[in-house]
Amino acid sequence: MNKVALSFKLNGRNVSVEVSPNTLLVDLLRENLGLTGTKVGCREGECGSCTVLLDGIPINSCLLPALKVADRSVTTIEGLVGEDGQLHPLQQAFMIEGAAQCGFCTPGMIMNAKALLDENAEPDDAEIRHALSGTLCRCTGYRKIVQAVVTASQMKKS
Amino acid sequence: MNHAANFLRGNTMRDKTEDRKEVKVLTKEKLDLEQLLAAPKEALSVAGHSVTRTDDLQKVTGKLMYGADYPQGGFLHGKILRSPFPHALIKAIHVEKARKLPGVVGVLTAKDVPGRNGFGAIWPDQPVICGEKVRFVGDGVALVAAETEKIAHEALSLIEVDYEPLPPVFDPRDALKPDAPQIHEKGNLLSSNKLRKGDVERGFAEADVIIERTYQVPFLEHAYLEPDISFAIPQPDGTMLVEGPMQAPFTVRRNLAAVLGLSVNQVRVRQIHMGGGFGGKEDSPIDVGCRAAVLAYHTGRPVRLSLEREEVTLQTSKRHPMIMEIKVGAKKDGHLVAFEGVIYDEQGAYAGLGPVIPPAGGSHIHSMVMMPGPYEIPHVKVDAHLCYTNHPYGGAMRGFGAPQVHIAHEQLMDELAQELGMDPAELRRKNAFRLGSVTATGQVLDQSVGLIETLDACANAFDWENRCGKSQYIDNKGSRRRGVGIGMGWYRTSIGTSSDGCGANVYVHEDGSVLLYTGITEMGQGAFTVLPQICAEELGVRMEDVRLVKPDTDMVPESGPTVGSRSTTLMGNAIIMAARQIKESILEMASEMLLVPIDRLEAKDRQIYDRKSPGNSLAFKEVAAKCMAMGKRLIGQGWWAPPPASLDPETGQGNPYFVYTYSTHMAEVVVDVETGEVEVTDYVAAFDVGKAINPKAVEGQIEGGVAMGLGYALMEKLVLEEGYPQNLNLQDYLIPTTLDVPDIKPIILEVKNRLGPYGAKGIGEMPNIPATPAILNAIANACGGRVRSLPADPESVFQAIREAGGPPEK
Repeated sequence: MNKVALSFKLNGRNVSVEVSPNTLLVDLLRENLGLTGTKVGCREGECGSCTVLLDGIPINSCLLPALKVADRSVTTIEGLVGEDGQLHPLQQAFMIEGAAQCGFCTPGMIMNAKALLDENAEPDDAEIRHALSGTLCRCTGYRKIVQAVVTASQMKKS
Repeated sequence: MNHAANFLRGNTMRDKTEDRKEVKVLTKEKLDLEQLLAAPKEALSVAGHSVTRTDDLQKVTGKLMYGADYPQGGFLHGKILRSPFPHALIKAIHVEKARKLPGVVGVLTAKDVPGRNGFGAIWPDQPVICGEKVRFVGDGVALVAAETEKIAHEALSLIEVDYEPLPPVFDPRDALKPDAPQIHEKGNLLSSNKLRKGDVERGFAEADVIIERTYQVPFLEHAYLEPDISFAIPQPDGTMLVEGPMQAPFTVRRNLAAVLGLSVNQVRVRQIHMGGGFGGKEDSPIDVGCRAAVLAYHTGRPVRLSLEREEVTLQTSKRHPMIMEIKVGAKKDGHLVAFEGVIYDEQGAYAGLGPVIPPAGGSHIHSMVMMPGPYEIPHVKVDAHLCYTNHPYGGAMRGFGAPQVHIAHEQLMDELAQELGMDPAELRRKNAFRLGSVTATGQVLDQSVGLIETLDACANAFDWENRCGKSQYIDNKGSRRRGVGIGMGWYRTSIGTSSDGCGANVYVHEDGSVLLYTGITEMGQGAFTVLPQICAEELGVRMEDVRLVKPDTDMVPESGPTVGSRSTTLMGNAIIMAARQIKESILEMASEMLLVPIDRLEAKDRQIYDRKSPGNSLAFKEVAAKCMAMGKRLIGQGWWAPPPASLDPETGQGNPYFVYTYSTHMAEVVVDVETGEVEVTDYVAAFDVGKAINPKAVEGQIEGGVAMGLGYALMEKLVLEEGYPQNLNLQDYLIPTTLDVPDIKPIILEVKNRLGPYGAKGIGEMPNIPATPAILNAIANACGGRVRSLPADPESVFQAIREAGGPPEK
């Protein structure tokens, strides 16, 4: 299939690539651009491990054709660490609270939580659980993940 | 070096010979683990603390490499052609068209397997490539390796197989009938096992109340989020390297050697970090690893074999389904007098992890031993039958045969309590194991029995006394009804076989840094954190001084599989032994340097100091450098195996496992009696873990395990129609989300295990076991309907309410 030029903003930087129209965003990120922090668990938008932000909105990158991100902004887990190497409060909070076990859902979970905190700086437990309900975790039982989001929200506040 | 130490050294210079003599006299005791473990550890500085996981930073930044994250360049892509029939003979396979497809490098059938055409964690009865017969729809009949995954896929569609379908059998009871289709040459019965204690007939004759029930549980999918993947890389020297996520590298290596026709030392297996395992990655990596390796062997090129989610569900092992018939007899006061159980344990198409490894290994025997529950009962009889069927095969899944039987005995306890008009917690208190109790296998529980403590702590935190017996509607229209439930449980540490040893190597370097080599794998449970914690504690260094070498069978000592809640305890002991060998060198050297007798020296936080005069100290690294310079041993090798297991094959009497973890759970649910929907609204789970080496990691195990047990209770089931799994993806196979799991409150109790590192016992498998029946009991308490065939999905709950004569009155 003929490749098509695609330009978009990835983790704050302009990127230009050529992709087949049937390439999915997750494969563009992982295979063409080497950003393997975004995971693939089911390829049908159920597990949420592939969650990235598109213009700040969490989406399943395993369902989205890459060409749909043309001239838009994509943020992945690799884009969360600040220029100075400082971890995002969510990343710190996940470590403090022990919210990662096998870690496979962690990037998707953190991206979902980031979208929530960007929208709602002090969510309550119910809002957190609602926002994260599209990302599956088989290890943690979610309690420490919810707690980590609360902790991150407090860290951002102070 | 501080002034006091300088002073001491200066002052004693003249009497060095004398001091040396004194030091010699006071030199260390012989290495004896029980003695080592019993030695008082004033205050632990690394173990027992919730240190941050060693791999957390990589996880939260997305840098941790899982199998699928490795570059694919240079690899051929493997694919498996699977059987479309649950039971059929293979008459012919035509592979010519597939071989001619450009980009296809290899198409293999059964005759191409170089060594033994069979693999399995216990028995090698599953063909790497089926030649004559297929036994379930996940069976592989041909393998393809191609330049791209797409070409490999296309090649599969060009292979033609002529099958002659055979009548299938799907129910373990049918499989035992004399005219049943025979799935394997040796027949459909893998194993029949017996447990006999006392005289059940006498016991039932003495009982005031007898109740009898049948409970049934379905196949369960592990649903680890990371699909299976394996890399096989032929090496120039003729050896084979296989890498992938796996729980049991040594089991994978043993199978690879046989399948490739190589000796064990010609196969190298490396573990890649796992995205969850839960027991499933004990046997699935044998499957994908052997198939990738056979492709690599024939093509001479590196092969990547990666499964899609649907293939994982189709091909890999499941939690064993069971039909459990139980009868229990009790006195009016609640004391249990007799227990009789029959288990029809469905193994599926292949032996997997079901069969008995004498004396007490394999999931089937574990189910039998656990079936009467953590209760002292004088008369017990259990018969357990393990049968082949044409379904997917049963393997290990968190709890290894224990969750199923807990669902039976814990529901039965509640049904008995109802019959007796007793508080179900009180009924359990009357019968629960205490120190000195005798189990159904005749084992005397002589240490570390904290079951009653978990009941007390759980009841207290849950406020059971005030919540029990008060189920009620919580809305005006009378549709949502609240209830509470209890579940108790026990789980072994160790696997009950004679081959349950763990080896550890510890190397200290001249700068005081440490390398720790073990074959225990990381699947998210935290072994790569807890094991270095034990090593650092024992050497007296800091956590960050220890680097753990990831499991690589060429580098690490034999450690057995990472299963059975054995890692922290068994490997922890091995690490302590290894570290102690080095510590001997360190303390001897420090004793000479400080001129302080060895028994007064303490190693902690990178310092070696005199307990009587803590200021008199040396840096660990300084002593290590001196040891290195003086040719003293800085290498330790530890090996620990539990006391020998025993179980009489005729009576099921013996000591199958050396220590157990105990637990009590309490749950509150709200049931919508009009729709059958269940919401779990409150949850407390208490555990006696011996000693929590990393309390936060233990909490994580508890919370995650409860969530898994909740899924088993309410929503999980591999739906099979005529042998075909219907819910292959996570869209149809549901697991709990953030909205299903309540805020679980974990309680950690520590009743010291005298044969564990700092008193520790296992925790990984225990937490999901009592969770399922606790929730089922709460449902019955709330709505009066009891679901005896899982899961308790809305339809089943609704049906159970109807069978109970409708919802309770408003």
